[in-house]
Amino acid sequence: MSDAPETTDVEDKRADQDALESRFQATPDIHDSWDASFIVTADVLRDALIALRDEFAYNVLIDITTIDYLSHAQHDGERFAVSYNLKSLSSGDRIRLKVWVSEEEAEIVSVHDVWKNANWLEREAWDQYGVSFIGHPNQKRLLNHIDFKGHPLRKDFPVRKRQELSVNDAMLDELEARLQGKGYAVLEQGSPAGVKA
Amino acid sequence: MKVQHSNGDTLDLMTVNMGPSHPATHGALRIFAALDGEDVTAAACEMGYLHRGFEKMVEQGTFNMVLPYTDRLNYCSSMMNNVGFCKAAEKMFGVTVPERCQLLRVIVSELSRIIDHLVCLAANLVDLGALTNYWYLFNPREEVYKIWEKLCGARLTNTFSRIGGLYRDAYPGFEGEVLNVLKSIETGVADVRALIDTNRIFIDRTRDVCPVSGEDATAWGWTGPCLRASGVDYDLRKAEPYYGYDTFEWDTVIGTTGDTYDRIMVRAYEIVESVSIVRQAVDRLRPGPVDSDDTRVSLPPKQLVYHDMEALINQFKLVYEGVRPPVGECYDGCEAANGELGFFIVSDGGTNPYKIKVRPPCLTQFAAFADMIEGYQVADVFATLGSINIIAGELDR
Repeated sequence: MSDAPETTDVEDKRADQDALESRFQATPDIHDSWDASFIVTADVLRDALIALRDEFAYNVLIDITTIDYLSHAQHDGERFAVSYNLKSLSSGDRIRLKVWVSEEEAEIVSVHDVWKNANWLEREAWDQYGVSFIGHPNQKRLLNHIDFKGHPLRKDFPVRKRQELSVNDAMLDELEARLQGKGYAVLEQGSPAGVKA
Repeated sequence: MKVQHSNGDTLDLMTVNMGPSHPATHGALRIFAALDGEDVTAAACEMGYLHRGFEKMVEQGTFNMVLPYTDRLNYCSSMMNNVGFCKAAEKMFGVTVPERCQLLRVIVSELSRIIDHLVCLAANLVDLGALTNYWYLFNPREEVYKIWEKLCGARLTNTFSRIGGLYRDAYPGFEGEVLNVLKSIETGVADVRALIDTNRIFIDRTRDVCPVSGEDATAWGWTGPCLRASGVDYDLRKAEPYYGYDTFEWDTVIGTTGDTYDRIMVRAYEIVESVSIVRQAVDRLRPGPVDSDDTRVSLPPKQLVYHDMEALINQFKLVYEGVRPPVGECYDGCEAANGELGFFIVSDGGTNPYKIKVRPPCLTQFAAFADMIEGYQVADVFATLGSINIIAGELDR
């Protein structure tokens, strides 16, 4: 925090946007006429996000979300976009990066190791929209039930569709992964009563 | 579960579910932990038990029909969610609400922050076994709810703001009742402080329990009181001032170590700051309009509707179709009781929102919870869970 560059005046404020445009071929997002928003390509996304965090002090990842443009009246292009909302605590500036994702590919590189909260935010974005995050260590549903079929926030998911879901997530896999992260090897797996192992 | 550490030690761990239906989770959260005696060796958390599809449902109605759904995000401070959504929508329209509306929004927001903090402190102290505090803190909260009832007819789910204004102006005598309730709040908080400030049990159970450094809190994307407890001086009311927050005299409250004690105390002191903001706002309150005169969002005056064709059409369009923000994508956040409550709105020019993504402050805090509690004891889990104030309504949406 304390050694983050000061970006309070207008000229410095442009430095991050210039870098985005020259180094990462970012283009301003015409959809956003209120704040600083840029579109980058998928291959430079990770580098651009890391550069924004380390060089321009956008140290907080506020949110990750996907947008499904399937029935958007004013859109012509790829079906999905993944949006990264960043904030700098030192300067107070915000910036958003958006990357187009096609319906066929429906995947984008994960940044779970760049910000700690990206792990869960990516899980939610995948759960709701079905755009995968490549390299995510535990891409499980976050809001919907583990046996839920489909991705409810896609525009072609019927709002009144119902599914019967009953079995709990045992979560032993997550617990074991955390134990292994602390240097423990599981010798004998106990199964908690009442849940599917 | 038998495990062996790389140094050769073997442990027989007991796996246990805390929640989802456990009184101390204050909602439905699940903490699945592997315990070595009383110590939490590893933990994994699960959420989503209260997921109601907020983001799907809001796409089915008009922009003003989103408001009742926002009540059900953080239901301990519904007023503030209403204000947060209206503020984001108004940013898209480029509408500035009149000064009286801004001050009333500040008053209801700060009172909401106070009651949200009161609930958090009361519940957290009950979890620690200190039941008396609950009555001291819930009594003033009840008085605030009586004001809400008079203001908008509802206690918990208020739907008080509208895009471009408020449901209605404050009732006669509102200012006096607000000033009275502030005194009760101060008394309640002072009584609780007298009970806990030098209380050995309280201090032993909270100090140095599950600390989070400022660096970690930032990396986890924390905002609000929990971030400030970790020593980061950041508050949206100061960093991106709105509704004249920069013109009031108040201080941000920051902690030092980011332990459970700091998280509780930051909230206790923030109540005092909010009381001061409300007093100043009430002092500035002058008669005037509460709705913007922008015809894109506000209904025209009734006199005009009866005598002017344009106004009549305007009224019909707003009632039958609803407001239409310009095409685009816009994010706006406000400082809610738990931190930054953000709304990312996508509009395709229609009367229904194309997409609304809520940025709930709770989520990033609960995401860090497993990391926070590992290495601490079972009793610390609930002392800490209370202190990060997870509200399942906004966590799960």
